[in-house]
Amino acid sequence: MMDRRKILKSGAVVAAAAALPMPAIAQSPKKITFLTWNIIDTADIINGWIARFTKDRPGVEVEWQDKKGPELPTFYQTQLAAGTPPDIINTQGALGLEYAGQGALLDITSRLKADAGYGNGFNQNYLGNWVYEGANYMVPFYLTKTVLFWNKTMFQKAGLSGPPQSFDDIIAYAEKMKSADSTGFLTLNFDWLYWPLYAMNGVDLLSTDLKTTAFNTPKAIEVTERLAKATESGAINKISWTGRWVEPNGAFAAGNVGMLHAHAPAYFYVKGQGKWVTPETLGATHVPGSFATPNSHGLGISKGSKNPDLAWDFLKFITNEAQIGEFARLRKLVTGNTAFDTKHFAELDKSDPFVAALLRTQLEHTDKMVGNWRLGNDSRVKEAFWPELQNVMLGRKDAKTALADADKKVQRELKRA
Amino acid sequence: MNTRTRSFTPWYQRKRTRDIALVACFLLPSLAIFFLYRILPLLWNLVLSFEYWSPLKPAKFAGLDQYREIFLEDDVFWQSLTNSLAFVAAAPFAIALALGIALLVNSDLKGASVYRAIVFISYPLMSVAVGIIWKWLYDERGGIINYALRSAGLVTKPIPFLQSFDYALPSVIVAEVWQVIGFYMIILLTGLQSVPPHLYEAASVDGVPRWAQFWRITLPLLRSSLFLCAVIGILNSFTSFDLIYVMTGGGPGHATELLVTHIYKTGFGQTRFDYAAALTVVQFILLLALTWLANRAAGGNAGAHDTGRA
Repeated sequence: MMDRRKILKSGAVVAAAAALPMPAIAQSPKKITFLTWNIIDTADIINGWIARFTKDRPGVEVEWQDKKGPELPTFYQTQLAAGTPPDIINTQGALGLEYAGQGALLDITSRLKADAGYGNGFNQNYLGNWVYEGANYMVPFYLTKTVLFWNKTMFQKAGLSGPPQSFDDIIAYAEKMKSADSTGFLTLNFDWLYWPLYAMNGVDLLSTDLKTTAFNTPKAIEVTERLAKATESGAINKISWTGRWVEPNGAFAAGNVGMLHAHAPAYFYVKGQGKWVTPETLGATHVPGSFATPNSHGLGISKGSKNPDLAWDFLKFITNEAQIGEFARLRKLVTGNTAFDTKHFAELDKSDPFVAALLRTQLEHTDKMVGNWRLGNDSRVKEAFWPELQNVMLGRKDAKTALADADKKVQRELKRA
Repeated sequence: MNTRTRSFTPWYQRKRTRDIALVACFLLPSLAIFFLYRILPLLWNLVLSFEYWSPLKPAKFAGLDQYREIFLEDDVFWQSLTNSLAFVAAAPFAIALALGIALLVNSDLKGASVYRAIVFISYPLMSVAVGIIWKWLYDERGGIINYALRSAGLVTKPIPFLQSFDYALPSVIVAEVWQVIGFYMIILLTGLQSVPPHLYEAASVDGVPRWAQFWRITLPLLRSSLFLCAVIGILNSFTSFDLIYVMTGGGPGHATELLVTHIYKTGFGQTRFDYAAALTVVQFILLLALTWLANRAAGGNAGAHDTGRA
């Protein structure tokens, strides 16, 4: 019979033997992590991708993590600081460039060149949004840029026949549609989404070499003054300068705002909230001058990835027509994969012509994308500029003073970079 | 031979040493966790504030550069400091209000326990929920406050409470006070109930008026409760992150920015962890100073246990 000591010893040996393989699995050299941004609702599709990808690659494991909007940057940075960044990361807007500027992302230029068929399959203007200092750091995952939505009923009531053709029209139409309970125009403001209003007036934020400011001009002051005046009068909804996503889209969905300048996915939110929304009552078109600010989702590989080749394979796999198509069909969006998008639009022409037309705008005039300065410190420049603009729009400062103050602050950030 | 020999016990065998070792053993796990999760990050934060550092770049000594930027260049720091102090300044009013309510529900008022529950109910709510509730209450077009003001004919145009530089901060402070007032009330009520009734009886026999009883008996004996409320008020003022984040995000402009939201945005929004660390040190020193001042104002040893003896 075994004594108690022997039993304990044997138990400890068995426990140690059982525990030993666990870290070995956790630290498998063939494991990659995939971090996405707020698409937990597509879990079935993403788990399907992972199952298909790992099926032909024995020993490979893909861990998928999804974080909500404000959580992802915080999570990614803590992972960077800990030296364990996810292998593949999905970012929105200019964040990818910021991470590239920090040295967090892998330069994929040579990989794209080596696989020209893959790289050339993307819309090149969108692909170029993730070029930082001559190197490419991301590929398109799903794409958006701003458009102008207009409430046809309100336009008719105001005696307006169609969408505005110039900045003057935007202001004039907004003034015509305003009343005690309605406003004429509303724009999203985060990530420079309002910048087309300046671009259509020939105002740019920075010089072409991105070394100095270019916005402190008489024209910029005039445009700012006019926007502020229209905000003061109620023609432009104040939420334009205070809200983020839910508030402005919610306000437009309520049916008492004439125009909404927002990126294309706003349509789905507005349609979900506004009972009035039908193809007969809602229009979507380019803003005057066809300028638009992109706010796309890209996929990149962390420089700290232990398996960059495997990560690249996975990245290519999921942006391949079969995989990305599944995702895009479910969510009705543009992928930047030109071959797929063409097919998808043809399908949508039959099933949902309004969405087909809306998504087509996303691939038109892509040479006129603005607000997408290839900066590694975009968030700091934004933080230097935006509060000063708010100061004017909400009546705290005059345009000249605020733009001069913003100029100093932006210059300081550019120098610091 | 009758010699009295004094037996020698080595220090490690003495009872006192053994007792100390036992106490240390019990304390060690907690102290280790406290050191690991509180002291070490504090020290690391202090070191970081004197460096240039980002997750992927090696640290470089920065001297006082981050502090120079805070005090000489950072307008947002001054704005957020002013806002944080405005929050602190609101705490005494909230405490006074809570004291008034506590006195009411401590009296023979009919249904006092119901009122107590109603006032307290806001406190267990998550700050995020409080933020959302108040955001809708303040809404310019659909908010009940604007609806009430317009219906009563007090205003002709809706007030953009959270979109206005003038109203945004006071509006957020009101929401903060609403949330915390129930907690203050409970603390003060507990204090009030620990005041020995015979003191009031003796004072009444001596003909001391009610206001003087309040001034000479109630308030001095509530000192430790008031101090606790003040400290909670100060800490809340500096750490009301959720409420600000949900209601205004620190805007418009930086009209409702607090030091804590400025620190968060600088660290995680702009990836300036070194600068955020310096801001955190400044906030820590400020909190320390304010807590010390509150203690002094409460008589110097307000945190000590009150025996209830007058």
